[in-house]
Amino acid sequence: MSDTVHTNTGFFRAISSQSAGVSLELDHVTKHYPGQPAPAVEDFSMSIEPGELIMFVGPSGCGKTTTMKMVNRLIEPTGGSIRIDGKDVLSLNPNELRRHVGYVIQQIGLFPHRTIAENIATVPKMLGWKKERIAERVDELLRTVQLDPAAFANRYPRQLSGGQQQRAGVARALAADPPVMLMDEPFGATDPITRERLQAEFLRLQAEIGKTIIFVTHDFDEAIRMGDRIAVLSDRSRIEQFDTPANILAAPANEYVSSFIGQGAALKRLALMPIAEAKLGPAAGAEGPKISIGDNLRDALDLLVLSGAPRVLVTDADDRTIGTLDQAGISSVLGATVPVVGAPAVTP
Amino acid sequence: MDTSFKWSRFLKFLAQRWDEILQLAGQHLAVVVIALVIALVVGILIGSLVWNRPIGRAAALTAAGIAITIPSLAVLALLSPLLGLGWGPSIVALAFYALLPIIRNTVVGLREVPAQIVESARGMGMGRTRILVSTQLPIAWPVIMAGVRVSAQMTVGIAAIAAYVAGPGLGQYIFTGLSSMGSFNAVNYALTGTVATIILALLIDAAFIVIARVTTSKGLRA
Amino acid sequence: MTATIALPSVQSIRARERTLKVMRLVAPPIIVVLAVALLFWWISTLPLDSIEQRTLNPTYITARIREHLILTFVASLLVAVLAIPAGILVYRARSAWVRGFFLTLGNIGQSTPAVGVVILLAIVWQTGFATALVALVAYSFLPVLRNTMVGLEQVGDDVKEAARGMGMTRNQVLTRIELPLAVPTILAGLRTALVFAVGTATVATFINAGGLGDMIVNGLKLQRYPVLLTGAVLVAAIAVLIDWLAGIVEDFVRPKGL
Repeated sequence: MSDTVHTNTGFFRAISSQSAGVSLELDHVTKHYPGQPAPAVEDFSMSIEPGELIMFVGPSGCGKTTTMKMVNRLIEPTGGSIRIDGKDVLSLNPNELRRHVGYVIQQIGLFPHRTIAENIATVPKMLGWKKERIAERVDELLRTVQLDPAAFANRYPRQLSGGQQQRAGVARALAADPPVMLMDEPFGATDPITRERLQAEFLRLQAEIGKTIIFVTHDFDEAIRMGDRIAVLSDRSRIEQFDTPANILAAPANEYVSSFIGQGAALKRLALMPIAEAKLGPAAGAEGPKISIGDNLRDALDLLVLSGAPRVLVTDADDRTIGTLDQAGISSVLGATVPVVGAPAVTP
Repeated sequence: MDTSFKWSRFLKFLAQRWDEILQLAGQHLAVVVIALVIALVVGILIGSLVWNRPIGRAAALTAAGIAITIPSLAVLALLSPLLGLGWGPSIVALAFYALLPIIRNTVVGLREVPAQIVESARGMGMGRTRILVSTQLPIAWPVIMAGVRVSAQMTVGIAAIAAYVAGPGLGQYIFTGLSSMGSFNAVNYALTGTVATIILALLIDAAFIVIARVTTSKGLRA
Repeated sequence: MTATIALPSVQSIRARERTLKVMRLVAPPIIVVLAVALLFWWISTLPLDSIEQRTLNPTYITARIREHLILTFVASLLVAVLAIPAGILVYRARSAWVRGFFLTLGNIGQSTPAVGVVILLAIVWQTGFATALVALVAYSFLPVLRNTMVGLEQVGDDVKEAARGMGMTRNQVLTRIELPLAVPTILAGLRTALVFAVGTATVATFINAGGLGDMIVNGLKLQRYPVLLTGAVLVAAIAVLIDWLAGIVEDFVRPKGL
């Protein structure tokens, strides 16, 4: 970091030139509304690495959205500090700060009186980008979220479907290429099919650009599917467990976290594991349904159950059989010693 | 003297004075437009200041509501000692009456802007004034325009009374008719003044439909 | 921009709304009483010349107020009695063309300058109270008719259908369902007509129909500002009070649940 970063303008300039994520630190953050008996957020501390997609999961009213909104100071903390890339956000001008933090909400909030292109161009315009650069960026973003620029750039929000509006909202938040993004149940208002597609697209996007993201959701499966790390939150935004999805599924910290996981923890874990993690049996002379090594273990189990075969053949990219996999092989990845039907939750 | 109404005399009256009539109509239009512009600026300003402050809002709407029930002749007569005769008291009085529908509709329009749009604007780093000017007012514009239309109709009618304090416009013909009662042209003066005012009001209303359409973003038309 | 948000409790919001509602209800009469009291106090401190004494005395003032109020209320009553049934009839007319015609006519009526109607009628007929009355009724007729029609039309089709489905005759649907639901709009129209009537009755002074307009016009003509001010404040007070009372009646008569 150069000397100029120590000034606020210098900080924003440095941040603007990076599109990959930056570190985010919350230190004993508290939010206490006057007149309320208990704080909405109590002593929240978390350290987020650059490029991580962090999920905040918890029931309504637990304070997850309040915590997230303190990062861009839509809500002001009453205690503690928040640092983006080492810089205390309380020392920055709030409006400037928000122009460098992407913000997506559930109801999207697209401006109905502006075209999609104008919507996306909002923050770049405020930051003084040149017209050509803005036009290029709008085009690029629309393509990224799979909305054909020729068709959608000059349409108005009311002319788009719900899923399309959601994607336009994400494009708008990405417009100025902020290193940090805050997303509050962005896919919550869509139907399950659209939601799954949006999640997949978003993961693909994140793999390309790697921003630091806080993603609030009450849907635990969404959290498992998307997060690098998950924070399971209870009242007053208390962190019950903060770990990778695999670790949380394998070893829930307490009953509260288990209640989120619900039934089928093993299957959920399997969905996170690629077949490559399993020890494959010999390929020679084996017969059975085929599955690619790029798929995950739950797909393999699915295939076993559906086909009724004793084992599946695992193929590589050229469709050559490189090994076999049976149910015992799958269970051993989970760490079960005795694969008994109807057994309680596995011990690691 | 035969003071009854005759079509032939009326048409002759119109033919002789059509340029004067148009001139008066132009004056009538001008004074209405000036008053509306003033009321629009002041009204939107007041509306923007009080729309989300319950006490200020109640005070502004109550005050404006009371003001609008005051008979216009009273207001015009009260302004005359202060502002003289002619355009001065007329414009002030007209702007005064045109304020209420505009303030009320500005408040209603701003309140109807969905909260999530304001929130996403804040989240993008827009300051309060910027949000008001670039987002809230444009979205509230159709409602505000509806208020301006109502104000316009009202103002055209009150402008006719303003002729009593020598205000400009077609009201002058109406009052000429009054003062020349008994002469054979009295009815022609009064009729022309009244009908021309009605026509002007309808034309202005039609113009506003077009203006509202043109100034409203395509994205907002239902 | 960085203030901490104090979240008021639901009860305190409701309490504040109630206080504001009460204040809005009570404000007009209080303002009127204050204004009139202030006016009379100020007049009493003035040395009045003979012209002013002839006008600023109880007899004269009450006479003008009486004339003004009679004109206002008689006209409004006539309008209600004539225009509301007419509105119902037009609403029930089978032809959409007829309904459209009267709606358009009503809109034109709204653009008509009241002073023009008053003076025109006086020229072709005669000056005086009767003319003013007729002019007032003519002027307010169309707006009340229009409001009656609009009020009846905005009753939802689903409600009417449900009523017919229960076996009500068309007249029963009218009296039990459509009219009660249209009452708020009709009353709003009458309230506006009343306020217009006060205003137009002021203008009636030009055709020798009396009323407080006399004081305003004479005060201005003779440059006796106390007279002018008294006439203006009194007519404004009457207008505000009548509007306020009409508002209370409106709230009172509104069917519960609307």
